[in-house]
Amino acid sequence: MIKITELQKSYRTEEVETIALNKLTFEVKEGEFVSVMGPSGCGKSTLLNILGLLDDPDGGSFLFNGIEVAHFNERKRADLRKRNIGFVFQSFNLIDELTVFENVELPLIYLGVKGPERKQRVEVVLDKMQIMHRRNHYPQQLSGGQQQRVAVARAVVNNPKLILADEPTGNLDSSNGNEVMTLLTDLNEQGTTIIMVTHSEHDSKYSHRIIRMLDGQAVTENILI
Amino acid sequence: MLKNYFKIAFRNMARYKVISFINLFGLTVGLSCCLLILTYILHEESYDRYNSKASRIWRVTRSFNNKDGIVSLHLGAVAPPFGPLLQNDFPDIQKVTRLLPTGVTPVRYEDKLFNEDNIFFADNDLFSVFDVNILKGDRTNALTDPFSIVITEEVAHKYFGDADPINKVVRMDNRYNLRVSGIIAPLPENSHFHPSILLSFNTLKDSAIYGEKNLATNWGNNAFFTYLLLPENYPAKSLEARFPAFIDRHMPYNKKDPASQPSKYTKLFVQKLTDIHLHGHTDEEIETNGDSSRVTIFGAIALFILLIACINYMNLSTARSTLRAKEIGIRKVSGAQRHEIITQFLSESVLISWFAIILAAALTILLLPWLNGLTGLHLSAQLLLKPAVLIPIVLTPFVVGILSGIYPALFMSSFQPVKVLKGLFKAGGKTVSFRKVLVVLQFSISIVLLISTTIVFQQLDYMQHAKLGFDKEHIVTLAYNNGLDKTFESFRNALRQDPHVLAATRSSRIPSGRLLDEQGAQTEAGDSLRPVNADIKYVAVDHDFVKTYGIPIKAGRDFSRNYATDSTGYLLNVAATKVLGMKTPEEMVGRNFAYGGVKGKVVGIMGDFNFEDMHQSILPIIFVIPPANSDQFGRISIKLAGNDIRATMAHVEKVWKQYLPEVPFESTFLDERFDKLYKSEQQQGSLFTTFAGIAIFIACLGLLGLSAFAISQRIKEIGVRKVLGASTGSIVTLLSTDFLKLIAVAAVIAFPIGWYTMHSWLADFAYRISIQWWVFIAAGVLAAAVALFTIGFQAIKAAIANPVKALRSE
Repeated sequence: MIKITELQKSYRTEEVETIALNKLTFEVKEGEFVSVMGPSGCGKSTLLNILGLLDDPDGGSFLFNGIEVAHFNERKRADLRKRNIGFVFQSFNLIDELTVFENVELPLIYLGVKGPERKQRVEVVLDKMQIMHRRNHYPQQLSGGQQQRVAVARAVVNNPKLILADEPTGNLDSSNGNEVMTLLTDLNEQGTTIIMVTHSEHDSKYSHRIIRMLDGQAVTENILI
Repeated sequence: MLKNYFKIAFRNMARYKVISFINLFGLTVGLSCCLLILTYILHEESYDRYNSKASRIWRVTRSFNNKDGIVSLHLGAVAPPFGPLLQNDFPDIQKVTRLLPTGVTPVRYEDKLFNEDNIFFADNDLFSVFDVNILKGDRTNALTDPFSIVITEEVAHKYFGDADPINKVVRMDNRYNLRVSGIIAPLPENSHFHPSILLSFNTLKDSAIYGEKNLATNWGNNAFFTYLLLPENYPAKSLEARFPAFIDRHMPYNKKDPASQPSKYTKLFVQKLTDIHLHGHTDEEIETNGDSSRVTIFGAIALFILLIACINYMNLSTARSTLRAKEIGIRKVSGAQRHEIITQFLSESVLISWFAIILAAALTILLLPWLNGLTGLHLSAQLLLKPAVLIPIVLTPFVVGILSGIYPALFMSSFQPVKVLKGLFKAGGKTVSFRKVLVVLQFSISIVLLISTTIVFQQLDYMQHAKLGFDKEHIVTLAYNNGLDKTFESFRNALRQDPHVLAATRSSRIPSGRLLDEQGAQTEAGDSLRPVNADIKYVAVDHDFVKTYGIPIKAGRDFSRNYATDSTGYLLNVAATKVLGMKTPEEMVGRNFAYGGVKGKVVGIMGDFNFEDMHQSILPIIFVIPPANSDQFGRISIKLAGNDIRATMAHVEKVWKQYLPEVPFESTFLDERFDKLYKSEQQQGSLFTTFAGIAIFIACLGLLGLSAFAISQRIKEIGVRKVLGASTGSIVTLLSTDFLKLIAVAAVIAFPIGWYTMHSWLADFAYRISIQWWVFIAAGVLAAAVALFTIGFQAIKAAIANPVKALRSE
């Protein structure tokens, strides 16, 4: 599903150039659940952003479902993103001014899904995440675990082929964290490819494979199953 | 999608109440100012357009040139022979109609006696040229019979109550009986004339009134407002090219001397009816007209205020962008394209503008009575309801919304989701500089308005308190009535019975009026007289005019009853001696002089004084004692001692009633008349102050929001500084300095613009103040003080807060 070859990305400030990705190469097959681990600054978030088409690489190749997307413009990236990719963030990133229902509905709005269908699809996913009873609450009124379940609901509502999770349990206690990991595992079992950046060895055990990064390169790969 | 945008817009407004209030309030006030000023502009532009034939009606005006070809006088009215001759010579002219104002005239019906101010001689064609709503009477011949009148409903009610006014007879000036032959509805306010009584033009043919001969030959009585009805789309201006030949064909002159052709010194013009109010500006108008430059100035002020409000929106939205950054990031991650984010923010600003325009419409209706009180107009919000106006108003929120929202929308839509969601986002330096530019722009406009207001008031004060060259205090003026022609000396003596009446005089014109009368002058050259190549305006006076007005005599003497020859004597002012080539006033005294063909001697020279308002420079003037019963006097002036004015006025009224029982007593003080001259400037000044105040207020509201935001961003820095020992004072200074620097830059930009604007404004006054440097400094300091007050409150609040709290919150 994803094939990156010699992917490069560096950030420049006036004085220093930081290499975030240094000719990184790996592949993720459809249906896989991959964890990316490594110390802070090793480039894992950069990788996730490029995989999520939120950022573009400086060099190398990025095939998404066999299509070279490394040099897509913003419009094409946004289009590909909204149809294929869901995101889950450490800090949930829910819009404070929107209710649970409205937050989850957002990707469908941008996909141009009509109102009645949107309602039905959002309700299905809220039900699945067991937060239906909170549909009219605002994010501030929810616990961290509930917020992350909303974020996961939002990530899956448009049935993406790929979910990118950036430390999804980082802000959660262990029981809430486990719940979220179970949700992700369930989604993976239903066929969704998941790539998860994490610091947590515990969480990484839920995945099929761990890519360990250092200084912008993949140093080891652990196959867990 | 839009529903989602509006939903979040509403919730954001509710969440950030202060900033939402500043935005909404600013835009509402800005739009209200625009609507109020728009109402005023529409009113001014609407003059005479109610006439269904407005585009076909043209007024004939007449100018007089001096020998150098420079226009010395341009009158909105022409001599009586022109009207019929134009109709005769130019077959394209479909109709000619004329109006001759009579001036204040007493009218009596039974025991009701009033001074009527808007009496015009007019003919039946007035009703077919202008849209006049005839309520009773025959449109085609109501004004045919001599001594018939058509009156307005109000006048009818005033004299006859509920009785049928038709065929009722009123007495005018205790001399003529006039029969009511028709009733008209009053002309709308936006008409350039408002007759209350129309008197049949044929009445003028009566030799006791004016006479047919006079109508046909009096080329000097330019008091007849003459209107032409032309065919649709007729090139009226092309007539002007044919007027010189027309003038020479009809006006008498010495045919052997081509240099004396009338077309050499006088010209006729045509002026569009709809241009009279704003672009008329001739020296003789029926009513005081509007001023197109004032319309432009206020239009510009309205747009500036709206711009300041839009800038507030831009600034506060971009400043607040960090708070919206996460939302934008999430939307982008959820699949939003950039154009969708732009649309979202534009729809927010358009939505706010929509609220603002609705509130502004309500505010406008509430404030119109206030504006009417200030301007003396009767503006109505109905003016805004015409489709041609309403549709643009309804579309305004889109323009204002897009104008205010486009920059924040472009800026925020460019956020990279990676950075904002990772919390790495910081509003960039470029935005901060752009916000600074906008604040500078706001304050530049405010400072220019402050400077302008101050200078307008200085000039007003100067005009009202400048030495005029005579004593205008305690002078009462009354309309002269011909009933006093034979009894004036006795009337004067009766007035002087009261020791508080110091002097009384009659004259053709009085100071505060215009100097429009002029005849040819001849001055001594060797043994003979040669024509003077200069304009000298004349005023017909009696022996006591100079004394009454306290005009200083610079050389020679005042008119005196002791010299019988003074009936052909002349008094000139110093300005006149200068145009006559005299080095000193004394040189002119005792010289032979002829004015209007009457030979006499110059008996004295008066000091220069401002007869007209301060817009006009002092002209050469000649005072002449007219022959008895020459019907030249227009007003009486009475100099009072100044103490016990109430009792003195009672005495004056008693004498008046004794001599003129048929004329209602109406008096005005001269200083009131002078004040009236500057009424429009005074209104302009008041409006300037108001709008300048509003501009600064809105700018400061923006500054309040911006500084609150800027300070909230620096809470940690303030905490650290305090922990390291910074005093409250030093922190307030730190926080205020940034903003004060912007005000300083704004002042530097505003000064030259303010100077240039006011220099141009003052150029319109012959007598004006010189612009003083301290006005600029004061405006800058005031703007800075207001800004400092705005920022200071928040700065102090931030500076005295417990630093531990600030640091813990990080």
